[in-house]
Amino acid sequence: MINIQDIRDTAKDLLAKGEVRGVIGWKAGTRGMDAEPVVITAPEQADELVWDPTCYHNLALYLVEDRKFLAHARKNADKPIGIVAKGCDARAIVVLMQENYFKREDVYIIGVSCENTGVVAEHKLARQLSGFAASAAAFAGDEFSFTTAKGEKKVPAREVMADRCLECRNPFPKEHNATLGEDKTGRTLAAPFAALAKFEAQGGGERWDFWERQFDRCIRCFACRSVCPMCYCDECVVDSIEMKVLPDTTAEEKANRIRWIERSADRSENITYHMTRAMHLAGRCVDCGECERVCPVNIPLRLLNNKMEREARERFGYEPGASIGGPSLVASFRDDDPGDFIR
Amino acid sequence: MTKKRTGVFVCHCGTNIAATVDVSRLAKEMANEETVAFSKDYVYMCSDPGQNSVIDAIKENNLDSVVVTCCSPNLHEKTFRDNAIRAGISGFTCEIANIREQCAWVHKDRGEATAKAIKISRSAIRRVARNKSLDPIAVPVTRRVMVIGGGIAGIQASLDIANAGLEVILVEKLATIGGHMLQLSETFPTLDCSQCILSPKMVEVSRHPKIKLMTYSEVQEVTGAVGNFRVKVLQKPTFVDAEACKLCDECTVVCPVVVPNEHDLGLTSRRAIHIPFAQAIPASYTLDESACLGLNPIRCGKCKDVCEAGAINYDMRPQTVVEDVGAIVVATGFDLYPQEKILEYGAGNVEDVLDGLQFERLCSASGATKGHVLRPSDQKEPKEVVFIQCVGSRDPAQHCAYCSKICCMYTAKHARLYKHHVPDGKAYVFYIDIRSGGKGYEEFVQRAMEEDETMYLRGRVSKLHRTKDGKVRVAGTDTLTGQNIEIDADMVVLALAMQPSKGTEEIAKVLKIGRDKDGFLAEAHPKLKPVESVTGGIYLCGAAQGPKDIPETVSQASAAAAKVIGLLSSDTLHHAPTVARVRSSHCTGCEMCVTACPYKAIRLENGKAVVNEVLCEGCGSCSATCLRAAIEVRNVTPLQVHEMIEACLSV
Amino acid sequence: MSEQQAYEPKIVAFLCKWCSSAGSDLAGVSRIQYPANATPITVPCSGSVSPMYILSAFKKGADGVLVSGCHIGDCHYMEGNFLARRKLHLVKELLGFIGVEENRFRMSWVSAAEGGKYAQVVKDFVEDLRPLGPQEKLKAQRT
Repeated sequence: MINIQDIRDTAKDLLAKGEVRGVIGWKAGTRGMDAEPVVITAPEQADELVWDPTCYHNLALYLVEDRKFLAHARKNADKPIGIVAKGCDARAIVVLMQENYFKREDVYIIGVSCENTGVVAEHKLARQLSGFAASAAAFAGDEFSFTTAKGEKKVPAREVMADRCLECRNPFPKEHNATLGEDKTGRTLAAPFAALAKFEAQGGGERWDFWERQFDRCIRCFACRSVCPMCYCDECVVDSIEMKVLPDTTAEEKANRIRWIERSADRSENITYHMTRAMHLAGRCVDCGECERVCPVNIPLRLLNNKMEREARERFGYEPGASIGGPSLVASFRDDDPGDFIR
Repeated sequence: MTKKRTGVFVCHCGTNIAATVDVSRLAKEMANEETVAFSKDYVYMCSDPGQNSVIDAIKENNLDSVVVTCCSPNLHEKTFRDNAIRAGISGFTCEIANIREQCAWVHKDRGEATAKAIKISRSAIRRVARNKSLDPIAVPVTRRVMVIGGGIAGIQASLDIANAGLEVILVEKLATIGGHMLQLSETFPTLDCSQCILSPKMVEVSRHPKIKLMTYSEVQEVTGAVGNFRVKVLQKPTFVDAEACKLCDECTVVCPVVVPNEHDLGLTSRRAIHIPFAQAIPASYTLDESACLGLNPIRCGKCKDVCEAGAINYDMRPQTVVEDVGAIVVATGFDLYPQEKILEYGAGNVEDVLDGLQFERLCSASGATKGHVLRPSDQKEPKEVVFIQCVGSRDPAQHCAYCSKICCMYTAKHARLYKHHVPDGKAYVFYIDIRSGGKGYEEFVQRAMEEDETMYLRGRVSKLHRTKDGKVRVAGTDTLTGQNIEIDADMVVLALAMQPSKGTEEIAKVLKIGRDKDGFLAEAHPKLKPVESVTGGIYLCGAAQGPKDIPETVSQASAAAAKVIGLLSSDTLHHAPTVARVRSSHCTGCEMCVTACPYKAIRLENGKAVVNEVLCEGCGSCSATCLRAAIEVRNVTPLQVHEMIEACLSV
Repeated sequence: MSEQQAYEPKIVAFLCKWCSSAGSDLAGVSRIQYPANATPITVPCSGSVSPMYILSAFKKGADGVLVSGCHIGDCHYMEGNFLARRKLHLVKELLGFIGVEENRFRMSWVSAAEGGKYAQVVKDFVEDLRPLGPQEKLKAQRT
């Protein structure tokens, strides 16, 4: 189990020595027990940092935000930035570095191990606490400890863990500058891609009925895209909210952007949006699960991305977020890539 | 942006198109398209009046782009692009809509064919509406050539190119040029002495003012593209000053190291300091560093002590030489398939079982036995020799699937030479077929059978082994009589398959040229482009491209030379401008396009992708890989394809 | 004539310039007849076909989409078809995962010498598409 003071001391130390210009981590939030992301810049602020089962956010997103902010302000980072990163967060950081979004030396990764208990899925918690809201949560070995008005309640982690954590194979941040907590890799609690296998047991008709319902509900709020660290493109191919221009962008270019989909939240446009996103994330999605968590209409988005990830792993021998120096999935190929589907 | 003014020209192609597609209706429908300012149909658009009408229409109607709906672009894209240029607009604003091969000729129903022709034409019009007026990219050219490989192919190509006035750098990895032809005794079908016909060419190469000879050298790295290659060549040290060496041979007398002689394929030995061949070009000795005891007087130093000319210099070091050339000819030749792989014939362990080149060395007057055919084991004259054809060739299950082409001929030659050397000897040839297609070849083989009384047995040899009395027992079959044959031969000669020479795989990677399924260098088209590789500016000739005999090799060498001379006949080359273009505003420098590009034409500069337009072939792999639409191929942009898709699904 | 018999599937065919389009030309030269349902778009290489093209074709109402390129190892641009094989495998899996009928998206390798094969590919595709009826799942409801 990680002692929170170790995280605070590490951050404090880095900031005091001037080795980093800030540390991205979690602090106690304003909504019940939930932690929220924070960027601290002074050593004293390190005491705000927390580490508990509500630290489900993928902080790699804030690395992207930080870089975009600097680009907008036309500043260069003079020092690396520190980040507290879980296993899933560290994988996302690896993909960002693989794509040159950061150089390795730009980021100081303070890896924290969830020790295979993962983080909590709030909707599962509702059943456990008899309707009482929790005001605090903490790691307690293989259990989570929640504080409610009725006192402290301990719940076995595996009953309230997020699904993505149950299936997680890499709970330890492999890429790191420092780590805290034990490496409990190898103790998978549920078969990876279990939900995927269950879904695929259905035939084509049932699958379509399922997705038709889902895509009809989508309101194209883009929360999934906003929360994904890998969706860092300034101009999204499927939806042009903004267009990146340089002084030499011509009027013709501005007038002639392709509209692959329309803005309306119609089913056909929604399907194209989600399928394009799944294709673009193939080999890049590390299954942090945030997209599914933030969807306001509860579309099971992880199914789409897991499908791509399973194809990448099983057909192409490709593991997303494994290697900073490796080629991307779709820019490379192997001689034995499957080709039986080709006539 | 001014409104597009596209001209549409619908060709009847006589009745080829008009019989099935309603061409006048097509022309009328296309006139309704938003960007079309002019539309007509005509019986033969590619005829003189037809082409003139296109040019006139462009000028008279101020057209800025053209769509010709006709036959396949393979036939007339160039024709109509040239017309566009003559009319004063860019050739790249002209596109062809194929409504013949892909429509009129394959459908019967007039309604369906016309509807499809309308979609195809509309698609082309939408595309052309966004075509940019591109100009071909002019690439300055280095008018020098590198030839890799100094065998007969490389020698012939070098001479032809140098005689046309171009500078040639001939790179050879051994210490002498000449290749395998130098190891031959006589050549079929004339039985000319191989060295006698080769030596004059070798000397010509050494004396030619336009040929720079780099022996004992290997190509390490090649960058650049057609017209502008930069090649790094590693020149290994020979430790002997070629100008000073007097060829007195005193050094070999005192050298204590004895190693097998590669030129004689191990049948004789040589010293660490040696000359590969008495008439080597360059005419100099070479000190083989890997065999030498040590390059300093403490270890040995005997050769240096005895050299009166003072030509030996232990301080020579490897040198990397950089050469800029406009074209490269690859003539890296062949090696024989290793005997060790033929387990049923002794795997190279049975004495007196030789390969073809070894037999040549026995026959050769400058060879292992001064021209007498003698058994390597006991130096006695063999009275019965068995020649086995197709060893390793035509064997898809275990070795090479292909036919090595020359073995029937050189086996007949070997049988004849043997008989000339040992008149009372008996030669047997085990064969499957006899392939003797060249001029004089069939007659040559018949003479082997009739005049030299060679016994030709149609059948395979299942195995051979050495007997206690020093013979080689060959167990074969004669399918024409249906009998099994056993011969206790004094010597066996195996016609081993030709395979690409050692180092072909590496040189193909360095040059980024392809290899075929058997490892030979791949030609651009098996019928019509036999001496061009798939990479612009790099040409192939000789056995490196596939098994062949000397006349074919010389033909290919001269053909490659002609291609090179044509390529470099002007100071600039024109490269198609339909290449990739980066939109820096959208590029995040993720390098996916860099990885995807088959030509390594994209690199990162200041965090953004940059395309080398000379290397780029416009394949579009980058464009399909980019997640951000930051790179696209000019005139085949995703926007254009998007509109073409829409046109294809219109009613 | 029933509704089903009157229905003609609309196919968009992306053909690579060097092999498949040339193969299609050869079918024409050989006068091999095949159904007129497939409208060809010639692209430089099968590797240049972006997944967006396929999704866009379906959204615009295509009943079937064909991508055809050079045989593996024979790509005019050396590696383009290897990249196509991988990307379009993912597209195919994703379409099937959503519940789009498997037969609607197809890939083939057709060389410049295979005119007959191209005609057969189109014939087979049209026959396989007919029983599926018009494609409604990905088609835009509003134009």
